[in-house]
Amino acid sequence: KHKEKMGKKTLADVIQEMKTFLWNSEKRECMGRTAQSWGLILLFYLILYMFLAGMFSFCIYGLLLTLSPYTPTYRDRVSPPGVMIRPYLHGFTIAFNVSEPSTWTPYVNSMHHFLQAYDDNIQEEKNIECPAGQYFVQDGAESKEKKACQFKRSQLQNCSGIEDPTFGYSTGQPCILLKMNRIIGYRPGYGTPVSVNCAIQKGNESALKSVDFYPGNGTFDLMYYPYYGKLTHVNYTSPLVALHFTDVKKNDFVPIQCRLNGEGIVNNVTNDRFLGRIIFTLSIGM
Amino acid sequence: GLTSARAAEILARDGPNALTPPKSTPEIIKFLKQMVGGFSILLWVGALLCWIAFGIQIAQGVASAFDNLYLGVVLALVVILTGIFAYYQEAKSTNIMASFSKMIPQQALVIRDGEKKEVPAEQLVVGDMVEIKGGDRIPADIRLIFAQGCKVDNSSLTGESEPQSRSCDFTHENPLETKNIAFYSTTCLEASPFLPGTATGMVINTGDHTIIGRIASLASGVGNEKTPIAIEIEHFVHIVAGVAVSIGVLFFIIAVSMKYKVLDSIIFLIGIIVANVPEGLLATVTVSLSLTAKRMAKKNCLVKNLEAVETLGSTSIICSDKTGTLTQNRMTVAHLWFDDQIYSADTSEEQTTQSFDQSSQSWAALSKIVTLCNRAEFKPGQENVPIMKRVVVGDASETALLKFAEVILGDVMGIRKRNRKLAEIPFNSTNKFQLSIHETEDPNDKRFLLVMKGAPERILERCSTIMINGEEQPLDRERAEAFQTAYMELGGLGERVLGFCHLYLPEDEFPDTYPFDTDSMNFPTSNLCFVGLLSMIDPPRSTVPDAVSKCRSAGIKVIMVTGDHPITAKAIAKSVGIISANSETVEDIAKRLNIPVEQVNKQDARAAVINGMELKDMTTEQLDEILINHSEIVFARTSPQQKLIIVEGCQRQDAVVAVTGDGVNDSPALKKADIGIAMGIAGSDAAKNAADMILLDDNFASIVTGVEEGRLIFDNLKKTIAYTLTKNIAELCPFLIYIIASIPLPIGTITILFIDLGTDIIPSVALAYEKAESDIMNRRPRHKKKDRLVNEQLAVYSYLQIGILQSVGAFLAYFTVYAEQGWLPNTLLGLRVSWEDDYYNDIEDSYGQEWTRYQRTYLQWSGYTAFFVSITIQQVADLIIRKTRRNSLFQQGLLRNKVIWVGIFSQIAIALILCYGLGSVTALNFTPLRVQYWFVAMPYAILIWVYDEIRKLFIRQYPGSWWDKNMYY
Repeated sequence: KHKEKMGKKTLADVIQEMKTFLWNSEKRECMGRTAQSWGLILLFYLILYMFLAGMFSFCIYGLLLTLSPYTPTYRDRVSPPGVMIRPYLHGFTIAFNVSEPSTWTPYVNSMHHFLQAYDDNIQEEKNIECPAGQYFVQDGAESKEKKACQFKRSQLQNCSGIEDPTFGYSTGQPCILLKMNRIIGYRPGYGTPVSVNCAIQKGNESALKSVDFYPGNGTFDLMYYPYYGKLTHVNYTSPLVALHFTDVKKNDFVPIQCRLNGEGIVNNVTNDRFLGRIIFTLSIGM
Repeated sequence: GLTSARAAEILARDGPNALTPPKSTPEIIKFLKQMVGGFSILLWVGALLCWIAFGIQIAQGVASAFDNLYLGVVLALVVILTGIFAYYQEAKSTNIMASFSKMIPQQALVIRDGEKKEVPAEQLVVGDMVEIKGGDRIPADIRLIFAQGCKVDNSSLTGESEPQSRSCDFTHENPLETKNIAFYSTTCLEASPFLPGTATGMVINTGDHTIIGRIASLASGVGNEKTPIAIEIEHFVHIVAGVAVSIGVLFFIIAVSMKYKVLDSIIFLIGIIVANVPEGLLATVTVSLSLTAKRMAKKNCLVKNLEAVETLGSTSIICSDKTGTLTQNRMTVAHLWFDDQIYSADTSEEQTTQSFDQSSQSWAALSKIVTLCNRAEFKPGQENVPIMKRVVVGDASETALLKFAEVILGDVMGIRKRNRKLAEIPFNSTNKFQLSIHETEDPNDKRFLLVMKGAPERILERCSTIMINGEEQPLDRERAEAFQTAYMELGGLGERVLGFCHLYLPEDEFPDTYPFDTDSMNFPTSNLCFVGLLSMIDPPRSTVPDAVSKCRSAGIKVIMVTGDHPITAKAIAKSVGIISANSETVEDIAKRLNIPVEQVNKQDARAAVINGMELKDMTTEQLDEILINHSEIVFARTSPQQKLIIVEGCQRQDAVVAVTGDGVNDSPALKKADIGIAMGIAGSDAAKNAADMILLDDNFASIVTGVEEGRLIFDNLKKTIAYTLTKNIAELCPFLIYIIASIPLPIGTITILFIDLGTDIIPSVALAYEKAESDIMNRRPRHKKKDRLVNEQLAVYSYLQIGILQSVGAFLAYFTVYAEQGWLPNTLLGLRVSWEDDYYNDIEDSYGQEWTRYQRTYLQWSGYTAFFVSITIQQVADLIIRKTRRNSLFQQGLLRNKVIWVGIFSQIAIALILCYGLGSVTALNFTPLRVQYWFVAMPYAILIWVYDEIRKLFIRQYPGSWWDKNMYY
């Protein structure tokens, strides 16, 4: 009998217990504490957390004080540079059907949008012409605004979208723009311009017969480097290399790997498939 | 006897004559229990979620899908490995007991088909005739039909240490009391070397139907209750699992309502579970317990069940057996009375001399009787063994007298040789005396010496004179009264009193060649000369009084439960302090005030001596009343069932009850107790099997050291858990902030596992070596329902104070690493989606630089490593502050526990290896870290220490204050 008494609580007991826990009218306690006790404990935590927040903010403030607003303390994780392409919608498969404009218009629009900043008049207005073939080093105070070199859209010739506003997509000879990631103070190629080449990633080599590179045989001219950071180098526009795929196998997925070549460029790391190279697939339907 | 055929028939009907072993859980069930116990369920859920996420991601073609597969495998491995570890620990402690399982007599001499045959005892059946000789174990319950000099040792059954004679007479209704039944598994004794006892009897019960079988089944019927520490750990697991599940579900909902994909939300859920569950903790607890168990084994407490280590510490009532535990389990001469005066003898374990006045001639006469009128002998070849340790053939009283004489006179056997024995009448229950006649060693004295000992009143009847100071004086009324007073006094001490007398037979009547005949008793047995009294007791062990008083100051109530007589029990209880010197029982008060027992106010009596007969008529309420009202209780003449009732009564008071015992009769109570303690030397196998702990030296004092260790480990487990729980918040916060603020993930799931199962393991075990902060034996035992292992204060202080502090410190390191690489804190906020986009390979940082996905991931791992290192550094501070809960570190001493330093060094060494040694293994997500990042969280580590010192200072300064109540865990 005694055991039964000691045994399992009924559901009603549990609910009653919960109720008393939530509000004990006898002791005027909510969840085991009186109003005063709750007040004290909340006050305590308020003070403790305010102190912690204050200390944290102070530490972050201190941290920010040690940082230069122009150059990050370390740049070892961001270099050597990665590579990206345009058009960029989602993913690295550029698939369209020449006879159906709706399949390639998004790519074309993306290109136009991206190249707006490279319009010749905008470039002429904001940026200066620089002597080609050498780094455009700008000495002086770190905080001084830096000049940027012109990179005109027209330099992309057949891929500029000026003569052919469809960038060759309407003829099955698409243009793709290749961009090297910006790194502050980085001088690619150590004096020799970095060039680009493209090849079939794997499979039948004959699928890719010819690629045209603009400007200047697919090199990034030295005058666009080094980059000084977005605070001082406001109008900087990344130099581009346009890849004009004039003869690619149609109605097939053609995996293409484009690599940067130059001293200091790393383009064969297995883990990072965008470091100094980029892999994308062309699928052009007729 | 039976025919073989008939025997086989009965055997088929009744089954073999063996005890059914208690049902044991199959090993595989035990193993599976470990696999689903504790946090395992949560981790299995985590692993399952991982695999589901993997399945979905692989279907969607996500590149990083395999991370989840691996994580799931790792989680499953963690569960399986910790399960195997716990199982192994459990099995190791169970194996200690494997050696104790043999208790059945192997062979029995049985009459079958009219011939004597040796058969295995298991084959015995009801109706078999068996023959037993001295030294044998009795093979079944048997009714004796022939017995000669047969004595049995029933101590394992009834707890009575005194051997009992057996004959074929039916003397009592109760089978336990009657003389013609001998019980299974008791021992038939060799009464003396000259007269081996023999007996023939008929088997009346076999196997489980025997008395011992019934007691054994009573024991196995008693349920195995959860140990207090198991309850505490369960409670703790519930708290942590509750926190994990509720935070997990809450943030799952938050994530879904913040428009995260369900799959992402599931992955968050996994992270939250892994961060919340202290994976290594249960293994740590097991290791800590087994370390304590090892330490206790060194102090003669062998722990069978690991969890029992702590149970002893929370014990609030010890129900102790008397014989062997509190006492030395050997009769020893305690007092002497001669020359009208009582002398005390030394009863300690290691006596080598006796210091009472031995100059009187009466003593010379008495010592002669003691030496000669004694059939006990030392077994040969023990000359170099201390007297008290020598093995003697003979019963307990005679052994006591023999050793007593040997200590004082030396070379008893030589004296006996010189005083050749001519005739002897051994002790028997009808005449209650023992007599022998000797030549004297004095060559000039041709008289014979007749010596006699026996029950004092019977001896006195046969005397007409009494020896005072060596002179024979007439035994007048005055002398007789003096004798009565002494006899009563010694009897009142619970001692067994023997009277001694002698007579020099006149030379003329009894010449050299006189033929003494013990059957016709052709010599005088009256008008003897009374010489003195000797009283004997099984004296308490010398260490016990101190141990009992230690128990008392530790708030533990010691109750004596014995099968012995109330008077003896009370006397021993008084001498060891179970009943303290100034306490009185109801009966004592009645006697002092000269009023009837009924009129005494029961509240006045602190002590109580309860007889088994009284207990039988008591209701539960009455028993409860006694247990509550009296602080000093002795139960005498109790049966096994009553022991069980007493234990249950104590447990009704919410007490944690320890029971000591050695006999088979104790096994039900041992099993029922929260912790059963069996005696290693005197204990029967049944008792050892039922117990949780074995006292290797049978010494009550060892229990006290056990209690101390148990209390210490409870305190230290608290510290271990507090230490381990703290960093869970530092592991959890990253996930919460990651979800809410959409920053790159500050710490990965794998990294968390490296903290929980890597850097934190050795330090948390090291806390088990911490010394006590104050005298833990001066406080009350913990209340099993109020003083929890993990209480609100502990959880809140660890989670919401130190845990948050740690998180802040670790986040500072995280932000530092990102900021110095070009990602300022404000850029990080809301960055998560782009950050984790595999196709987005030119994300701009705060400075306009562009990052590929892998470059970001690598930076993220640096963040993990920095976060990990910061937690480790702050855990060092956490470890140091957890050394004490109340005292300042300077009071406790930083160097007293060297293992802590081993822990700290291991922690840092493991972190260094992970960071710099394995930094190139991408699967582990560690990267070599710049040296300065190790020091970012250092100020917070110092803050943790300072903050905790302040907390402790206020607790010490203002005991009972709001601060104390809320901050002391």
